[in-house]
Amino acid sequence: MTVVKIAPRRNRSLGGALIAVVLLGGAVLFGAFTAAFTVQETESAVVNQFGRPVREIKDAGLYFKIPFVQEVRRFDSRIKAWDGEPNEIPTQGGEFIWVDTTARWRIVEPQRFMESVRDDQSARSRLSDVIDSVVRDQIAGTVLVEIVRSSDWGRPTAGQPAVKVAPTTPKPDDAPDGEEAAGVPGPTDAELAQARQEAAALEEKVEMGRQELTRRILDKSRVVVTDYGIELVDVQIKRINYVNSVQEQVYKRMISDQQRRAEEFRSEGQGESARILGEARRELATIRSTAERQAQIIRGEADAEATRLYNDAYAKDAEFYALWRTLDSYRATVDQRNTLMLGTDSEYYRYLRGVGR
Amino acid sequence: MAKKPNDPTEALAKLLGNTLSGGVVVAGIAVLALLFGASTAFYTVEPEEKAIVTRFGKFSDTRGPGLHFKIPFGVDRVMLVPTERVLKEEFGFRTKLINTRTEYSQTPDNLAEALMLTGDLNVVEVTWVVQYQVTQPKDYLFNMNDPGRTIRDVSEAVMRRIVGNRLLSNTLSGAGRTEMSIMARDEIGSILNEYGMGVSIRTVELQDVVPPSQVRPSYNAVNEAQQERERLINEAEKRRNQEIPRARGEAQQLVNEAEGYRAERVNRAIGDASRFTAVAAEYRQSPEVTRRRLYLEAMDEILPKAGQIIVAEPGGNAALPLFNLDLPKRSAGGAQ
Repeated sequence: MTVVKIAPRRNRSLGGALIAVVLLGGAVLFGAFTAAFTVQETESAVVNQFGRPVREIKDAGLYFKIPFVQEVRRFDSRIKAWDGEPNEIPTQGGEFIWVDTTARWRIVEPQRFMESVRDDQSARSRLSDVIDSVVRDQIAGTVLVEIVRSSDWGRPTAGQPAVKVAPTTPKPDDAPDGEEAAGVPGPTDAELAQARQEAAALEEKVEMGRQELTRRILDKSRVVVTDYGIELVDVQIKRINYVNSVQEQVYKRMISDQQRRAEEFRSEGQGESARILGEARRELATIRSTAERQAQIIRGEADAEATRLYNDAYAKDAEFYALWRTLDSYRATVDQRNTLMLGTDSEYYRYLRGVGR
Repeated sequence: MAKKPNDPTEALAKLLGNTLSGGVVVAGIAVLALLFGASTAFYTVEPEEKAIVTRFGKFSDTRGPGLHFKIPFGVDRVMLVPTERVLKEEFGFRTKLINTRTEYSQTPDNLAEALMLTGDLNVVEVTWVVQYQVTQPKDYLFNMNDPGRTIRDVSEAVMRRIVGNRLLSNTLSGAGRTEMSIMARDEIGSILNEYGMGVSIRTVELQDVVPPSQVRPSYNAVNEAQQERERLINEAEKRRNQEIPRARGEAQQLVNEAEGYRAERVNRAIGDASRFTAVAAEYRQSPEVTRRRLYLEAMDEILPKAGQIIVAEPGGNAALPLFNLDLPKRSAGGAQ
């Protein structure tokens, strides 16, 4: 028989108490870590027992579950973004456009969510299926202008064109002259054509518009996804663009419109310039010819006046005038080139013969 | 004597023998834990922030700038939100800070953000900046996952709706830009409020609103053509304004010359006439003497000027000069 040395009774009871305390503390902590759980403000949770949901928690706070037997699945209960892949979709008019939609959604019934789609990734994929198909249907049933414009198209809130022209009035022909007086040329034909085009476009009535389109998409998609415990908060059309081939056409049109405008500006400049210079030439000719006419009149009057004065004087002594003027003429015209023939019986040579009377 | 190794009581007793030293270890761990807890029980909130505190996951308090206390060990959680800073999102371009210089760049992805359709089915490139601030930090944290992304998505959708409702010419104009930027700010703000996002949009600033790059040269060509038109018209006006006054001056000169001619002619006529009249009066007084005098005076002048003077006998041979007043040098062969 062995003798076992037993520790004193006092140590034994103290040791026992310590064991109990440690074991109790451990159990409490253990329980705390496995039975208590928090749900954040950004979360909702479902408590599963053996794989089956038993409790749904939507408010934040401290909760308890049966350890090991129950486990907690958490879900982000905030509004989340869904962004679809851009899709090439034909409109009712047959044009193909790229449509990029985006949506906000959130989990409102975590239990149903868990049972139907299980996680965010498959939820997104399910949303894609639903929303893409609704968008495709809606766009295919709508013309492009109704997709691009909104319901207040044509009213002041949608902006006014730069050059205002009523679409039914013809080009105001007196406007350019009036404006030129102020130094600013009036609108060209191309500008007026563009303004008429814009005014006509503004008069087109929009039946639906972008907001109504997105509302329909939201309404149709929303009902489907409630089955998944999801609330679709809204759907927005983030981007609409032409497909490449259509975009090329649109660019060509824009370029040729602008080229036409440029050409018209240039030719209008040349035309105006020619008109102004032509007017100037006309005015110059008028000024010059008027002056010449006046000068001629003055000269004519002068000549007449002079003639009158001469005649008045000469007529009184016509015979003397003949002598006077003829002698003047001899003075003026005789020079080296002339040969004078004088008779010996001329007055001049009289005294050469002699000094008789 | 040997102990029985498989006696459980003995093993336990051995263990208990160590409990006192074990107790020291436990106490040491507890102290360390307390110290650790104390270090995580305090936090500071910077001046541009607010702190949102949750207790066991549930919202408990909002705290402003300063030093605060929280219950450690995962009971209290603190999330800091910048509420005084103005945050911004750029669309269609990105600003890069190179040393102290800012540069704007546009990648193809950025360009995709910028291209959009207008109401008259043209295409325009719009770059803009959205500036916002967190005004409700609690909502900002608890209501929306990835708020930045949502701000971007909504901004793009709103800007496209607005541009899609306007004519291209309107979006390029100054008035249009102003309207668009105000409308965008209001609309983005109201949609984000519907989400309960807790942000407020301060401004939406449009940067460039231009036609797409492939089309831009033709738009620039229009501006150039407009300027060309102005230039041609101005030059024509200038020339007209130079030439008309000059022509008027020349015209005036013509008339003045004619007037001068008139004055000269009339005055000369008056002079001539009065001279004649005066002489004629004298002539009437003594006609014979005057006639002879005038004749001889004229001869004084005329005869020296004549090239050759031939005095001939009347009725005789006119070719026979009897009296030649030619000077030697003027005739080839002089006759006596």
